[in-house]
Order: sequence, then C-alpha cells, then structure tokens
Amino acid sequence: MMSKGILGLFAAAVLATGLSSAAMADMGPIEARQACMKANGAAMKVMVPIIKGEAAYDKAAVDKALADERAACANWADSFGDDTKPGGAIKTQAKLEIWTDRAGFEAATATFITARDALAATTDEASFKAAFPAFGQSCQSCHEKYRAAD
Amino acid sequence: MAVWFLSAPRPLDAAALPQHTPDAANGKILYHASGCHSCHMPGPELAGIDSAVPAGGAPLKTPVGTFYPMNLTPDAETGIGNWTDIQFVNAVMRGVSPEGQNLIPALPYTSYAHMKVEDVLDIRAYLMTLAPVASPEKPPEIPAPALTRRGVGLWKWVGLDTTPWTPDPSQSESWNRGSYLVNAPGHCQECHTPRNVFMALDTARALQGGPHPEGVGRVPSLRGLIERGRYKDAADIASALQFGGMLGYDKLASGGMGQVQRNISQLPETDIAAIGEYLASLK
Repeated sequence: MMSKGILGLFAAAVLATGLSSAAMADMGPIEARQACMKANGAAMKVMVPIIKGEAAYDKAAVDKALADERAACANWADSFGDDTKPGGAIKTQAKLEIWTDRAGFEAATATFITARDALAATTDEASFKAAFPAFGQSCQSCHEKYRAAD
Repeated sequence: MAVWFLSAPRPLDAAALPQHTPDAANGKILYHASGCHSCHMPGPELAGIDSAVPAGGAPLKTPVGTFYPMNLTPDAETGIGNWTDIQFVNAVMRGVSPEGQNLIPALPYTSYAHMKVEDVLDIRAYLMTLAPVASPEKPPEIPAPALTRRGVGLWKWVGLDTTPWTPDPSQSESWNRGSYLVNAPGHCQECHTPRNVFMALDTARALQGGPHPEGVGRVPSLRGLIERGRYKDAADIASALQFGGMLGYDKLASGGMGQVQRNISQLPETDIAAIGEYLASLK
C-alpha cells in the first residue's frame, strides 16, 4: 500500500514533468522566458513571507518552489534570439540592452543561477535566510538593467 | 524685447530666506528623499571615488540631450563649496544657477519648488559635511544651449508652479508627511503625472501615470494601488519601497525605480510608512 502510494506519486511527478516539458516545447521563446519569470514570481511568493516573518520556514515548500523555477527556466539562455527583440508582435518587457550588452546580460544570468543554486542548497532556516539576500539582489539588479517599465 | 524680458530668470531674493539653524541630519534624510544621488553620481573618470558620493559627472540621458549633473560635494572650485545659501536655494527651488542662468528642468526644481526652504538649507548643510571631490563640470550635449536656457525661461511661466506644499488639516500627521515627501522632495510627479501640450505637469491628472520619459514603456499610475490589487495595504506599499526587487516587488526594480527605491530605503521607517499611507489613500 505504502509502496503503491509512493509509486503513484512518482508516476504523477513523471507525468507532470512530461506535461510541462511538452508545454514548454510548444511555447515560443518569448512565452518560454515569460513562463520562467512567472515561476520566479511564484517562488518569491513562497519565500518572501518566510523572510518577512509572516510564514513559518518550510523546507519542502522552498525546495519545490526552486525546483519548479529551475524546470521552468531550463531554456532561458536560448530564448533571447535576434527575432525576439522588443517591438515585435508579442509584447515583451525585455530591453534592447540584452542584445547590445550580451556579455553583461549573461553575467547577470550567471549571478542569478549561482545565487539560486546556493539558495536551493540551504538546509535550514538560518542558512536559507542568509542566502536569500544575494538571490533577491540578483533579481533586482537584472531587472534594473534589462527589463523595461510596464 | 518682450520675449527677452519674459525669458529672463526669476530667482528668489536673499531677503526671502528664513532665519534657520541648519540641521545636517535632517538634510541627509531630505537628500535621500529628493533622490539627489540618482543623477549626481560620480562619472567614470572618477575611478576610486565611492559611487555613493554625489561628485557628479555621470551622463544623464534625456529627450533633450545628455547632461552631466554637477558635483554636489563642497569642493570650492568645482562643487558647491563657495555657493551661498540663496544661490543653493535658487538652483534647487527656482532652477536658476549662481551665474543667473536658467537651468534645464532635468533638475526637478519644478517639484523642489514646493519644498520647505528650511529643508533645502538642511540639504546644503548635509552636503557641506561631505569630503570635497574635484570634479569639473562638463557642458551638456544639447543643441543651442544658450537659446534652450532662454526657452526654459519662457517655459517656466507655464511649467514652474512655486506654490509651497501645504498640509491637509483633515488628514493625519503621517499622511501629510507622506504627501510632502511624495509631492515636493520625492518629485514622484515628474514621472508619474502625465504632461500637457506645454510639457508641464498636468496636475488635473496628478499621479495617474503616463508615458515613460525615456520613451520606452509606461510609468504606472500611483492611484488605486490597493483597489487594483497591486498591493495589499499601506504597509505592503511601504515594504515595497523599503525592499523593492530584493523581496520580489519586481515592479520597483525597472524603469528607473530601482534607484528611487534605494534612495527611499535610506529614509527612517516612519517616513517610508508615511509615504505608504499617503499613496494607499489615492483613489
């Protein structure tokens, strides 16, 4: 019974992963990077209340939020082709600076990934709270340079 | 002849200054509330100078051209070291330089004009406590600067409202503090209020948002922030202003708000809460 339950969960997880990859494959690059940012926003909604002291630390919830974020952002680096610049048919807040300062943008992405992986590797409330500011800072500084206002 | 007269700068007279003992600590708060640093950052040639020092020289791109905002440290040659109180007040609150020229309103004196003169004098007192940095002024890259400055003189007749900010006695003290910080030193209206055909703030539509001054995207309305579901309540707005994108308030990062938010985060928490209270009340 127990093992069946675990098997069922496992199957559901595989199915869900398969579905989300299929959904990602159907997305254009602009939708894909927007889905990544939505997942980032969802992860923030889990983590920020913990940082603010409005919610109790919940390792499982944090781990899941960051794993979902990683999955949704798997194609991030490949979703900024020349045909996805602002001004096209699909509205995007991506700034032209992403294409004129690609090295800076890639460095900002690398900073984010390092901070996210460090956050995902935390094992308790103290280490989570200590790692969070670098993560939040990486969101802020990249948005400041590379994302336009509304 | 009439145009020459009408376009002439109209500074305040030194006799208009109140008796005031400057308070550099208050000046530091108002310096951050006014966002002075955002534009007066040290330029790239000042390597080795702390980027938090308002030594000036970093390029400021505007629709009119590129400016290099001046050195606000008390250096006698290149900064404000030799400026008098009235010269400082006239630059900040009337857009008139110590040489008597009209300043281009990239310096938001159109909002600072509503400030308490005492607060402006306190900012000067705070700046005078900084270590002087030699950072010579660089001329702006704008077409016909002399003519433009005269044009600004004409524009000031419609674009510069010098009415001092006044409290609303029916509101709380903190609401009024928030109103003052937003509308005078904070100069939020410079971007969040749309402009009319004269490029003057359209005060009938105050804080309703408008096109982004840099030409890309829109500046959001600051009205109905709660009703539109942007924030839970006044405390949530204050939290957004205090922490910005660091805590997932990602809209506070883009479009130039990142710098604004960093400045506001330097204010006492009571001031940030006051801004939240005031903004939450705007319907």
